[in-house]
Amino acid sequence: MSDDLQQKISEAIADPKNIGEMPNADAIGTVGNAACGEMLRMWIKYKQEGDRKVIDRATFQSFGCETAIAVASLATELIKGKTAEEALALKPEELSGELGPLPPMKIHCAELVEGALRAALQGNESPPAPSASAATQSPSLLDKIAAPGKSGVKIEFLDPPKS
Amino acid sequence: MTIGPQSPMRDVLEAYPGAQRALFRRYHVGGCASCGFQPTETLAQVCERNNNLPVTEVLDHIQTSHEQDAKLFIAPTDLAKLHEQHSDVKLVDVRSREEFEAVHIDGSLLLSQPVMQEIMGKWPRTQTLVVIDHQGKTALDAAAYFLGHGFENVRCIRGGIDAWSQEVDPKLPRYRLGS
Repeated sequence: MSDDLQQKISEAIADPKNIGEMPNADAIGTVGNAACGEMLRMWIKYKQEGDRKVIDRATFQSFGCETAIAVASLATELIKGKTAEEALALKPEELSGELGPLPPMKIHCAELVEGALRAALQGNESPPAPSASAATQSPSLLDKIAAPGKSGVKIEFLDPPKS
Repeated sequence: MTIGPQSPMRDVLEAYPGAQRALFRRYHVGGCASCGFQPTETLAQVCERNNNLPVTEVLDHIQTSHEQDAKLFIAPTDLAKLHEQHSDVKLVDVRSREEFEAVHIDGSLLLSQPVMQEIMGKWPRTQTLVVIDHQGKTALDAAAYFLGHGFENVRCIRGGIDAWSQEVDPKLPRYRLGS
């Protein structure tokens, strides 16, 4: 990776935009990347502007690599004010915006962002259910540290607290 | 429990909680659903279907990583002393929100994305950070994540909040996760 690109990524990472869960999001998209085990989840909130339903705000959560975070940060800014169709038309290289062209080994980072965005914009209201095979697998590293919000676990106290 | 090539991954992970991370770091195995493994698969089977990885070498790597992980642990009583002497020590809880709401150590922070953002963006990399989980089995992964992002003083509470309840603060109720 060039020093210039690394510098731009470092700058984006130093002040990432739109990180975090979004309460009351209209749509959520999650994607994991088979190539490297990264995961990225995106939340979208729409608003009505005249006769156009446009993206009011987008946030993301990622425990992936720096490049994915940098691209997601830029992409969530870029899609504001666009309709879902307009945002869907963006290519990975456009989503990476001012980072410029990514080297081949980093293109999948932008594709990760594109995947999460596509999943959200195409109307998945909740993260996609895992596949039958994945459901029985050990939780991924990211599952372990990145599970957002309520997980649905049930707490059973063993003993009454000792005073 | 003796772990060998024919041990199911469930047992491997029980004996070496950091095994999944160790496998991913070196062999790119088990990091996500796509390259994951079944708990019932044996280590030898996992190695075989991942380009015939040498199982002896893989097991050795898991064990070596485990020894390195052990250095990250801090005993609950030692943490209590450390926290008493240095109130700026940050306690980061990586359990689920339900578990955190049910029981947590005073002053600890539930790791949410905003908290993560603050940690990554604002906390000095020299900040002492102690990761709390339920029973000391998942904190290592989070600790490795922070270490990988430049934090120099990362520890995990040995035995998790469960051990803290038993050894430091019995007023915190112990719990198990139901189905």
